Amino acid sequence: MTLADLARPWAAMSYGFLDASAKRELRRKMIKAVCVPGCQMPYASREVPMARGWGTGGLQVSLTLINPRTRVKVIDQGADDSVNAASIRRFLARVSGAPVTLDTLEADLIQSRHRVPEEILRSDQVLVLQVPNPEPLRPVQPNMSIARQMHADADYGRMWLQLYEQIVRSGRVMQGASYPSMVNGRHVMTPSPIPRWDVPKLHMARHLTILSAGREKRIFAVPPFTRVEPLVFDDVPYRVEDHGGLTCARSGARGVFMNEIPQSDGGSAHEVSDSEWGVKTIRHRDGEAVRMGETWYRDGRFVAPRPGPDPGPRSVRTDADPDPVPGGGAP
Amino acid sequence: MAYVATRGGERAIEQSERLFRAELGRIDAARVAQVRQALPYLVDRVMGEASLYDEDLAALAMAQTGGDLYEAVLVLRAWRTTQPRLAVAAPVEQGQLFTHRRISAAFKDIPGGQVLGPTLDYSHRVLATDVLSGGAVDPVPVAPAARAAPAQYPSVSAWQAANDLADLPAPDGVTGEAIPDLTREPLLFPARRAHTLQSLARAETGGVLALGYAAMRGYGQAHPTVNELRLAEAEIVVAHPDGTEFSAGRVKVSQAEVVSKKGDKLTLGFAATLGWNEVKCIAAATLDLNSAGAPKGSATEEEFFLYHTEGVEASGFCIHFKLPHYVTFQSSLDAMRDAAARRSARSPQQEPAE
Repeated sequence: MTLADLARPWAAMSYGFLDASAKRELRRKMIKAVCVPGCQMPYASREVPMARGWGTGGLQVSLTLINPRTRVKVIDQGADDSVNAASIRRFLARVSGAPVTLDTLEADLIQSRHRVPEEILRSDQVLVLQVPNPEPLRPVQPNMSIARQMHADADYGRMWLQLYEQIVRSGRVMQGASYPSMVNGRHVMTPSPIPRWDVPKLHMARHLTILSAGREKRIFAVPPFTRVEPLVFDDVPYRVEDHGGLTCARSGARGVFMNEIPQSDGGSAHEVSDSEWGVKTIRHRDGEAVRMGETWYRDGRFVAPRPGPDPGPRSVRTDADPDPVPGGGAP
Repeated sequence: MAYVATRGGERAIEQSERLFRAELGRIDAARVAQVRQALPYLVDRVMGEASLYDEDLAALAMAQTGGDLYEAVLVLRAWRTTQPRLAVAAPVEQGQLFTHRRISAAFKDIPGGQVLGPTLDYSHRVLATDVLSGGAVDPVPVAPAARAAPAQYPSVSAWQAANDLADLPAPDGVTGEAIPDLTREPLLFPARRAHTLQSLARAETGGVLALGYAAMRGYGQAHPTVNELRLAEAEIVVAHPDGTEFSAGRVKVSQAEVVSKKGDKLTLGFAATLGWNEVKCIAAATLDLNSAGAPKGSATEEEFFLYHTEGVEASGFCIHFKLPHYVTFQSSLDAMRDAAARRSARSPQQEPAE
């Protein structure tokens, strides 16, 4: 017996950085997470060449799912050009050889921090959300072992109480992003700190969403066509951010989630949060041929995706070219 | 214009990293050797927190991060996690350690004797400013003892157990691949004993000290007595596939055993780590001593101190607040403005009628 018989040829780095045993564990935990939607599955969570809290959970999932033909898109707070998105995209490409894209429609795998793209995702796409804190019960129960027990008992009374107290104190639910949501009628999860605007996009969606917290070592998932229902009282409807009527100062896009940009005159301008949607809108305005996908929101109102096959890209839609399809009601 | 903006981030991060590296200058084998030679205790600390014993790699990590220890430990851990596991070393008993230093505060003398070994404990902490004006500090040669000290010493707690003063934990018969491994399994609570000790072994020194010190000052129930503190080298004995056992070398280890004197028997707290790091071991052993029955959410409760002394996670999360958070911020502003608008719309009606 020689050493060469026992070991594979030496390589400085495994394909996709993670070694085979790490990927196996992640695959197993992802399958478990898909089987019990919204339930947090503990996993070992390896160190990766990026600081904890900077998307290491999402990164491990992406590194496990990636292959040389996977087209990857990375977003941070809606923007592809954000410095950390650029860093993660560069790393994924470097260790996997996978092609990258900024276009939501072209992507097979989308790793995102705190946004769901504005274009409707298809059944062949996977959305990987980076999660800083996987535990929706943390504000009412910081101890993780007690919180785990509460999930097992479906003991969500304190969550409801917290929402009720907000309404009593402030006249409305004050939860900003990370709106706690019931998944498949059983587990309350945090959808990660996506804005309330994005939570309905997970409900009965065609795509698979995997949420992964590297630092906290928890993975959970929303499989396709799974209910994701924000916790709301019957008489106090869920409210997304009041962005439906805002117009992007750079692209003219309307009816999507916006960033507020403070102006020196004391007022504010707005800019599309989904940077690639903004770019597409500008390119279309400038007369280029652009593929623009169907969007979850139309005229600022959420429209439940139609049943049936995946929507193909529509030619174009901007503020200057309003969509004739009538907007549906709020969810 | 938009296209440029879309790719602006990539250029920016590349240049900012260049700026950092330019300050450090050229990093070569000579610099790594210098770091390793000049800063052995720092190398030890980094190896312990990285849970990776390799002085050259630790020195390299420090050189390439400019001595930002959180970064150095992260670089090492990320390298370590991808390495194959070739073998599991045989367990080492205290009596087998090649011991350099071993002291007990519990007894004036102990079987085998007190061995001071290398320490700054009794040095006068005077800054050698002469060095800056051209002088040098040349170490004074150590006078050899008349009789060489033995290399191995029995454990103090074994004597205490024999005298019915303490109950030793039941021996753990788990061996080889079956030993729970924190780097391959999630940490869950109540934690497995192996996970607890592994987590303390790779905990961040400053964090362990802060929480351990809190316990020592009275936020814990048990006041520690240092039963035994050791700086030693441990033989790494592994088995060749043909069955032959051999030593793959020695690693520096430190360990502390502290006891509480409450109750009718001594209770033990223990911690050990790679490299020589006395402060960390005493503080970690104090946390271990205090963890049994600690109230949920207190600093001496296992879940609390294991989570919060994990330096790679803690430092990563701390610096992640530098990342943009404008989407979450916007979401909260929306709720805040709406609540304020409701309040002002409502307030006239709430004025008491006169």
